Amino acid sequence: MILTEAIIHYAYFVMAGIIGILLLKNLFKREKRQGLVYDIVYAYCIIPFLLRVLYIK
Amino acid sequence: MTESKNTKISVKLLCLALALVLAAVAGYSFYDQRHYKETVVVSDALTDVRWLSDYVPELEGTFGDTPIFVFDSGVEGGSLLYCGGTHPYEPATSLSAFIMMENIQVEKGVVYVIPQCSFSATTLGVQGNAYPPYFTIETEWGEQKYKIGERNTNPLDQWPDNFTYINYPSGQSQAYNDLRNLNRCYPGRLDGTFTERVAYAIMEFIRTEEIDISIDSHEASIMYPVVGTYVAHQNAENIAMMASMDLTGNGIFDMKYEASPNSLKGFTHREWGDYSDTLAILMETPEPFIDRIVGPITEDLMMTGQDLFLSFAGDKGLTYVEYSEENNYSWPMEVRVGRHLTGAAKCLEYLPMFYPEKEVIATWPSYDELVEQGCGAFLHDPSTADPNQVYEIYCERYEYKGPIASKEEPAAEEPAAEEPAVEEPVAEEPAAEEPAVEEPVAEEPAAEEPAAEEPAAEEPAAEEPVAEESAAEEPAAEEPAAEEAAA
Repeated sequence: MILTEAIIHYAYFVMAGIIGILLLKNLFKREKRQGLVYDIVYAYCIIPFLLRVLYIK
Repeated sequence: MTESKNTKISVKLLCLALALVLAAVAGYSFYDQRHYKETVVVSDALTDVRWLSDYVPELEGTFGDTPIFVFDSGVEGGSLLYCGGTHPYEPATSLSAFIMMENIQVEKGVVYVIPQCSFSATTLGVQGNAYPPYFTIETEWGEQKYKIGERNTNPLDQWPDNFTYINYPSGQSQAYNDLRNLNRCYPGRLDGTFTERVAYAIMEFIRTEEIDISIDSHEASIMYPVVGTYVAHQNAENIAMMASMDLTGNGIFDMKYEASPNSLKGFTHREWGDYSDTLAILMETPEPFIDRIVGPITEDLMMTGQDLFLSFAGDKGLTYVEYSEENNYSWPMEVRVGRHLTGAAKCLEYLPMFYPEKEVIATWPSYDELVEQGCGAFLHDPSTADPNQVYEIYCERYEYKGPIASKEEPAAEEPAAEEPAVEEPVAEEPAAEEPAVEEPVAEEPAAEEPAAEEPAAEEPAAEEPVAEESAAEEPAAEEPAAEEAAA
C-alpha cells in the first residue's frame, strides 16, 4: 500500500511538471488567443505548478 | 514583421519574469513556513530527547518525524505523556507544551512531552483560509515567534485524498479529508498512509514506554459543544471527572467532562485507551479563531479571541462557553494556555487517588500564574540561555545535548571554590575522597542503564567537571575516570 501510495503521490508531481511545461509552451507558441491578456494568464497559471514541482506548496 | 515578433516575445518574457517574481515571493513565504523552526529553552529537568522514528524508523527523514522530550526524575513512579500540536491550528496546545517544557520540574516519575505531534501539519496554513502563518509572544527580552499551522497533514506529504476515508481497523467511514487528520487516524498502521504511520508511531511510543496517563490537548470553536471539556476514555473517566469537578467546583475555571463515545473511531481519547494500557484524556479549550462566523482572521483574533460577529452569537447564548461582557468577549492566549497547563496538572493530581503506584509529581506554571503574568513571563531568551538548553522543533533528527552547564556548575564550582582554599594544603585528601564518593554514584547509573540511559549519561557528566578540576590538580583524579570507563 505504501508503494502504491508513493507511486500515486509522485505521479501527481510529474503531472504538475507536465502541465507546467505545457503552459510554458503555450505561453510562447500558440495559434489562437494571441492577446496580451492570455500571455498574462498563461504566465500566472504556471506559478502553482512550479511551486508544486519544487516541493514548496 | 520581425520587429513585431521580437516585441511579442519580449512581452511574453516579461510576463513570465513577472510570474516568476510572484512565484518567488509566494514561494518564499510557503518555504519559510514549511521549514521554520520554533525555538524552546528547555528546563534543566530534561534528561533525553527521543523521536517518533525511534519507534517507527520509516518516519526518519520525513516530515512525520518529531521530537519527544523526556523529563525523568529518576524516582520510580508513573509516566505522563503530554501532547501538543495534534492540530497545529490550535496553537495554545503547542504553546502550553513549550511553556511546560521551559519550566517543568519533576520530582517523581517521568514526563514525556511531544510539542508538535503532527509536525507535517505545522508546515502550512488551512487551505482556503487566509490567516497569518505565525503569532508572536511578547516577553521582557523580545518577541518569540510560533507557527499557526493546519489541521491536517500537508498535501506535500500525503496526496491525493481518497473520495472517502475508512478508519483502520474499525472500518468506519469518515469525512474524506480526515484521511490527513491525525486525530482520526488512530491507532494507525505501519503500512498505511503517511498520517496513519505517524499515528502508529505515537501508539508504538505509548505501548513501548508503557505510558500510564496520556493527555492530548486541543482547542475548539466556541460554538462547538465539546469545548472547555475533558473527553476521557472509560479507563480514565474517574480522573477526568474528579479534575473537572475540582476545577469547576473550586471556581478555578469551568471545565466539563464527557465520556469518549465507543463508536467515535480514530480519536486519541478512544484509540489510545483501546489499543494500549494508557489512561487516555483529551482536553479542549475555547479558540474563537477557528469559529466559522468570525470577521477578519488575524493574529489579534488568535491572541485575544475578540470578534464582533461572534459577540452577537455570544449575546444570544449560542456559544457553549462564556462569550459576553463578563469575559470581555475574549479568550486570550494566556487563558487558554493556562487552562491546558492546570487541566493537565489536575489530572496528575488525581491520578494517585485511583492508581497510587502510577503517581507522577511534576510542576509547571499554573492557570493563575499565566493569567496574571502572561505567556511571555514563562519563556526564556534563547540567545542568553545555555546552548544545551536550546532546542529547535523540526523534523530532522538531533540528539540530546546533555545536561546544562548551569545545572553542573553550581554543584561543581561551589566545592571547587571551597576545596582549593581549604584543601590545597591537603590536596590529596579530596582527591582521595572523591573517587570514594563517586564510586557508588558511578555504579548507580550502571545499574539503571537498562531502564534509562539518560541518568547514566547525566550523572557522571555532572561529576566530570569535578573530576577534571581534580585532574588538573592531582593525577589521583584520573582514577575515577578509569573506573567510570571500566563501569
